[in-house]
Amino acid sequence: MSTPKAMRQSLGLRLGSAGFLAFWCLIAAFPIFWITVMSFKSPVDAFATNPLEVIFGPRTRAGGDGLSIIDIVLGLLVLWWSGKFAMGRLPEMVARFTQPGTVLLGWIIAVVGFAVAFIVLFFAILPVVLSGLNAIAGPLGNPILGLTTVHYQSVWVENEFYRNFINSLIVTTGVVTVSLTVGTLAGYGLARSGSNLAFWLLILALIFRALPHSVLVAGYLPVFINSSEILRPIFGDAAPTLYGQPYAVIAVLVAINQPFTIWMLRSFFHNIPTELDEAARVDGCSHFQAFRRVIMPVMWPGVITTGLFSFLLGYNDFLVTSLLLDAQNQTMVPAIAGYFNRETTTTDQVEAIAAAVSITAPLFLLVMVFQRQIVSGLTAGAVKG
Amino acid sequence: MAEIQLRKISKRWGSFVGVDSFDLTIADQEFLVLLGPSGCGKTTTMRMIAGLEDATEGEIWIGDRKVNDLDPKDRDVAMVFQSYGLYPHINVYENIRFPLKVRKADPATHDERVMKAAEMVELTDFLHRKPAELSGGQRQRVALARAIVRKPSVFLMDEPLSNLDAKLRVSTRAQIKNLSHELKVTTVYVTHDQIEAMTLADRVVVMKQGIVQQVGTPTDIYDMPANTFVASFIGSPAMNLMEGVIEGGTFRGKNVEISGLQASDGEVTLGFRAEDAEVADGNGQVNAPLYTIELLGDATMLTVRAGGQLVSVKAHKEFRAEIGDMVSFSVPTDICHLFDTATGARIGAS
Repeated sequence: MSTPKAMRQSLGLRLGSAGFLAFWCLIAAFPIFWITVMSFKSPVDAFATNPLEVIFGPRTRAGGDGLSIIDIVLGLLVLWWSGKFAMGRLPEMVARFTQPGTVLLGWIIAVVGFAVAFIVLFFAILPVVLSGLNAIAGPLGNPILGLTTVHYQSVWVENEFYRNFINSLIVTTGVVTVSLTVGTLAGYGLARSGSNLAFWLLILALIFRALPHSVLVAGYLPVFINSSEILRPIFGDAAPTLYGQPYAVIAVLVAINQPFTIWMLRSFFHNIPTELDEAARVDGCSHFQAFRRVIMPVMWPGVITTGLFSFLLGYNDFLVTSLLLDAQNQTMVPAIAGYFNRETTTTDQVEAIAAAVSITAPLFLLVMVFQRQIVSGLTAGAVKG
Repeated sequence: MAEIQLRKISKRWGSFVGVDSFDLTIADQEFLVLLGPSGCGKTTTMRMIAGLEDATEGEIWIGDRKVNDLDPKDRDVAMVFQSYGLYPHINVYENIRFPLKVRKADPATHDERVMKAAEMVELTDFLHRKPAELSGGQRQRVALARAIVRKPSVFLMDEPLSNLDAKLRVSTRAQIKNLSHELKVTTVYVTHDQIEAMTLADRVVVMKQGIVQQVGTPTDIYDMPANTFVASFIGSPAMNLMEGVIEGGTFRGKNVEISGLQASDGEVTLGFRAEDAEVADGNGQVNAPLYTIELLGDATMLTVRAGGQLVSVKAHKEFRAEIGDMVSFSVPTDICHLFDTATGARIGAS
């Protein structure tokens, strides 16, 4: 496919944009790449002054943890093959073996099955096979790249980072669910309403959006601390102290996030022609049925994009979670900050880096799974009947 | 099967009047066309019948039910929208089936009914496509099929042909006429295209600024326009309208003099249709230099300035003249329509 003449760029422009892209990749992607490399090395290697030592990790290798050429080649092959399978064959198989209506169930089974198979293959079968191969391969079997997963083990197992992960999961699930439920209903209502009140509600939402987050936290804090007294008339002696609980964080994050989701979803709804609502109404839908059966299915990309932004807010939030959660309910981001704040040894720092790398993994997964919806959601406006 | 009664319905937004006191009975199985320029209230009237818009005043009856307070879904109407309003997330088959599904019709009959509706609009080859993969004409037919799949008591069509190209419009128009004849359902059709109105309608309602100008069969409104607005809106080209004065039965205006008219003295507007007049050899009632000459193929259109307006006459297809040549048209009194210049209303029976 050739570019139309009008869109063709001059050589200078192309070089310029390529250069800019490369520069941007370096600035944005390099730190992530570097901490990923660091997190797999022993502390001495990770903080070595020679960059090559950081990459090849001689001391990590000397400690007995390393990859040979065979390890690298086979490992990459397995990864590449699994990726290809997940992108190509898996959707085909799901399409072939599911009945219409059970597609979701089919996908869940497929994804879980694939994940289990991958874990067994990559972490159980592959190491056994490779240790055998390395023993008989001579020089090719000698480790050349130091790599150790010991930091990940100590983060997730010894330091019980999975608790923070579960807390993050609770908070983000709560934030996304509440934001999207309220946001879709409010956004739809506001998009379809022509009244002045709707306009002022949106302006009000914008003002709340502009407030610094710390204002909301400060406003909520006394209420949460005294919540057991405030709620006693309703719940009696069982009234909870909300301070330190995930619910408190969810409430504050929703308050921060809601104006934004309402605005965003409203503009998505606005792009859906009212003719669709009207056609549905005439075809026999009640108001709510029209929303559920016609408008929502058309809205999915918008909902997913908005949901992703809500997720990121909840997942990445530091201020609210660090101020409102007690130690055992802490989410991942403040927990990582905790690693750095402790009396630090270099080991602690590498562990913090390993934790930081761990929390980016779910984000990559999420974006990869929903990439099509996110792209069509971000470039929306093209909902034509 | 139902008759629709509109009893003095009005629609106002604040002080703006959308539809003013619309009073009409649409007979069972009638094909009624609401015709008018944009902003005349024709679509608003239809939306009030559909229940998408509340009537500010008046009552709407479909069959023997007053439907003012009913939801659109309870009025038993089907509607075809201007940009079709197809559901983009489901394929053609599911689009057509949607009304049956929502209204919980017996699932066993769905397939048969969808296929029958699809057959009627010749869509059977496209049932598994999404609306985005269809051409404009095909989308239009999906919308039609969705309307006819459930036998409603009233069809409402809101400018269904306006997004199609000229050629497709003609064939789809024929299809709609045939469908309405076959299905025998009361139909209300909104358009701003007078040719659609003439070809489709049993009766036409001409509207302007929310007020009904004339209700009648296509022949009525073509041959006996009730006022200058209808006269200038219907027909292609529209009726020639010349301003002048009648004195003793003789109409005089610039470049025009027609005698033998039976009307009282005063300022009038005289109208005639281009195809009714003929070119005369210098002794006609309109004499003026030629303003422009247009070759249409089957005829030649001559235009002159007379009575303060441009006046056109259809001549034989081989007629030729130069711009500026003097031409003469014979305008017999029996083709003349007289209108009051001040009010625009028709005068007398001529």
